[in-house]
This record gives sequence, structure tokens and C-alpha cells, in this order.
Amino acid sequence: MSRTTDVRGPVIDAHGHVGGWADFFVPEPDATWLVDVNTEIGIDVVGVSHLVAVGRDAAAGNELALAEAERYPGRIGVWLVADPHRPDAVAPLRDQLERPGVWGLKLHPDTHECAVTDPRYEPLLELAAAAGVPVLSHGQTRSPYSDPGDLAEVARRHSTLPVLVGHAGLWQDGFDRAARLAAAHPNLYLEICGSRLTTRWLERLVAVAGADRVLFGTDACFLDPRLGLGKVRHARLSDADRALVLGGNAARLLGRRLTIASQETP
Amino acid sequence: MRIFDAHRVLGPVPGDHVPSADLAGLLVELDHFGIDGAAVTPSHGLYGDPAHEHTAGAGHERLVPVPVILPAVPGAGWPDDPGAVVDAAPAMVRACPVRHRFALTGPVALRWWHELAAAAIPLALDAHEAGLDRVRALATAVPQLRVLVLSPGYRCLRELAELLGAHPGVYVETGTLAAAGAVEWLAKQAGAHRLVFGTGAPVWDDAGPRFQLDHLRLPDADVELIAAGSFAALRAGEAPE
Repeated sequence: MSRTTDVRGPVIDAHGHVGGWADFFVPEPDATWLVDVNTEIGIDVVGVSHLVAVGRDAAAGNELALAEAERYPGRIGVWLVADPHRPDAVAPLRDQLERPGVWGLKLHPDTHECAVTDPRYEPLLELAAAAGVPVLSHGQTRSPYSDPGDLAEVARRHSTLPVLVGHAGLWQDGFDRAARLAAAHPNLYLEICGSRLTTRWLERLVAVAGADRVLFGTDACFLDPRLGLGKVRHARLSDADRALVLGGNAARLLGRRLTIASQETP
Repeated sequence: MRIFDAHRVLGPVPGDHVPSADLAGLLVELDHFGIDGAAVTPSHGLYGDPAHEHTAGAGHERLVPVPVILPAVPGAGWPDDPGAVVDAAPAMVRACPVRHRFALTGPVALRWWHELAAAAIPLALDAHEAGLDRVRALATAVPQLRVLVLSPGYRCLRELAELLGAHPGVYVETGTLAAAGAVEWLAKQAGAHRLVFGTGAPVWDDAGPRFQLDHLRLPDADVELIAAGSFAALRAGEAPE
């Protein structure tokens, strides 16, 4: 078998979750299982949003995620879910952005039924830009809420804000376009989790957008992190490109906000 | 540990340019992923009409051909009758009731399934295409027929566990059981002997399931069943419990 395990640098899962979800059964929704499996397979740290925050209560769910980051420092980071329907969302998020382990803001335009280009997202995007944190958004080709073209528009409006297109747009027939959009917008990145991505498409994303624009993610616990990591491990990428995808790019974007437990000095 | 992919497609597929468009490319893919052998459906059987296209499957010692059959009134399907399938004795056949527009539990098809069950020839059905309700209806109507459920996805674990519990002749391919911990959970529910490693490549991802196989949190004996043993038992015609 072609083994590609000679990875230099950290392995950072840029897109994770914890918690249960109403639409289907998730056998392992807890942070403990996720941290244990990640340890076994070599994922150093994962950034999560809590599914309570995604699904119905951003304020409560974000606190749940922060508690998990406190429980597993350097193993779990937090994407704070930003709810565009809450006119009072900015102030608590501003405070929470200063809490240990917070990576940035997470947008779920489809779940919140609010287009990412909608004015209600503007204060939240301005908050992220002012705080110097990236924004990870669900991205879904042809969605009226989160099409990669709309995320590119957000990147244009906020040229200093790193915008991560979650799932690289999700559907195979949109991957090539998403990669070209990333190539054309210096602050637009592709995060790759999703059941439709194959190693073949990952290799194409890297070829079109550049290895410095593609970030490893798993969508745990919706999806099993072993599946997401396997795609990058088995992809036909150079060691240098693989290291960028697996963690180099995330480390660069997160900067001082990133703590990795396995790299801390005892 | 022997690793056998029970679900691969050989030949060109719409919407992508794939290495497994030909036999040589498929073998390179299997080597890349450390997969010893595969059950292979010809893409013309899936994306063409078996009534008009039914050339022989790939011949190679590492591959097990899985022809796509089409039970229909004479002249509209392939082959002409189920006896031809029994005579050919394939390790497994595949059928596409939605794609090819035939009634999976209609009177014509039911006669075929009874004959295949008597000959211990298993049937593969793509749940992504046919849906679990059709699989359940077939398993209820012909309980002695062994059915391998392909590509069930990760959102129907509750239904899958119930299906496996009620129908001992049903097996499930693991490649798209992508929810966190889904393979281990279903193995505990139904037994690893009911789970069959398969990927659905190149349409579905093969790298993730292959990597996961090396990192399952199950006893070695269970992993070996999933990796190859369950499919070997399925094709060998071992009777349902």
C-alpha cells in the first residue's frame, strides 16, 4: 500500500462539532470519544462548534463548546456560532472571543436561513475582522444561503478577513468552481470536510487553489474523523503540500490563538 | 489481513474523470490503497441499459465481476430469464430498480429473486438509489435471498439496525457509514459478520473507509470479518441465521 504518513507539522482539524443532532442518529456525539480517537489516529487538535449552538441556541451552545475546550485544552478549540437573527449577538461574542481556546466565528447560513451576504451578518463579520479571527462558514454550492460565490463576495467586502468555505462547497459539481474562486480571492480558503469529497477531488482542489489555500477538516461528529483524515493521508500530494493542508495553513491563520496540547512543554 | 472491496465500479462514470475507467487504472487504485481484491460492477451496467448492453465483466484474478441484471418482461430486460443467471453462477448480481425503472417486488422480479435465493446467489442493491423501504419489502417477501445493501449513507443508522435485526439475510456495506463511530455501533447491534467492507469508488470515497479499516475500535476478528470475511461468507452461500 502507498503510505503517506511522513507529515511534518501539526494535524489540525479545522471543522468539527460535538453534540447530537435532530436529523439523524450520531453514535458518538461526545468530546471524550472525539479526543480519544483523534489521539489514536494523530489529529492534534480540532476546532468545534456545539450542535446546540448550530441548531437552536447559539448562546447556550457556545458555552457548552467553551466548556469542552476548558476540559480538553489544546485538544479542542472553539468556533463560536454567530446567529444573525440575534440583534444582541455581537457583545457576548466579543467577550467570548477573549476566552481561551477560541479560534473564530462559525456561520451556518443554511440552518439559520439567512444568506451570508445578508446585512444581518455584517456586524458579525465586522466583529471577526476587528478581532483578527477567521470565519468558517458552511458552504454549499447552489444554496441560496451559502454558495461559494456568495462567500467570495464576503471575502471581497472584508479583504482582511480569512473566510473559510466549509466543505469546499459540499457538492462535487461545485468543487472546481470553488477552487477557482479561492484562487481568485486571497482571503478565501477551502475547508474540505464532507462525504462527497474524494482524494481525487482533494488533489484537484490543491492543484487549482494552491496547497496554501486548502484546510483539512472532518465534520466530526457528524462524520467520523478517521474518514476525513484518510482522504488526506492517501491523497497523492507532496509531503510539503500535505503538511500545509493538514495543519500548516490552519496554524498560520489561527496564530497565537492556536494551542496544541501535544506540543506543549511539560 | 486480507482486504476485499465489495463495491467498486469499473469503467467511465458521468461527472468525473476516474483512474478506474479501465482495468489497468483500477488495479493501480487497488494497489495504492492496499486492497487485495474487489467486487466490480461494470459502469455500462449502471449507466447504460442492460437490455441493450451486457458485455462480459472484467476478467482478472483479483476481481469478482458483479453483473447488473434487469428482471423485466421478455425483451425489456436482461437476461431473458433467471435461469440464465443461475447457470452463469456469478458471485453476486446487482440490480437498479429505480435507475432502470422496474418493480423490485413486482411479480416478474419476485420470480427471479426466488430462483436466485434457491441458487444462493446474493443480490446487491444501492440504498442511495433504491431506498431502504424497497430493501425491506424485498427481504420480507423473499427472506432466503441474501441482500447486500450498498451505500446506505450515514443518516439511517436506526433504520439499518432494525433492518438487520429483522432480516438475517441482509448485509450492509460500510463505506458510507460515515457518522462518528457508526461502524462500531452497527457491529455491536448486528454483529461484524453482517458488515462488509466496500467503498463505492470511484463515485464514493475509498481513502477514508480504507484508513478507517486500519483504525476500527473493534476486536481483530471483527475487523477481519468486515475487511473480507463477511463478503466471503455472503458469496459462499452460508445460510442466514
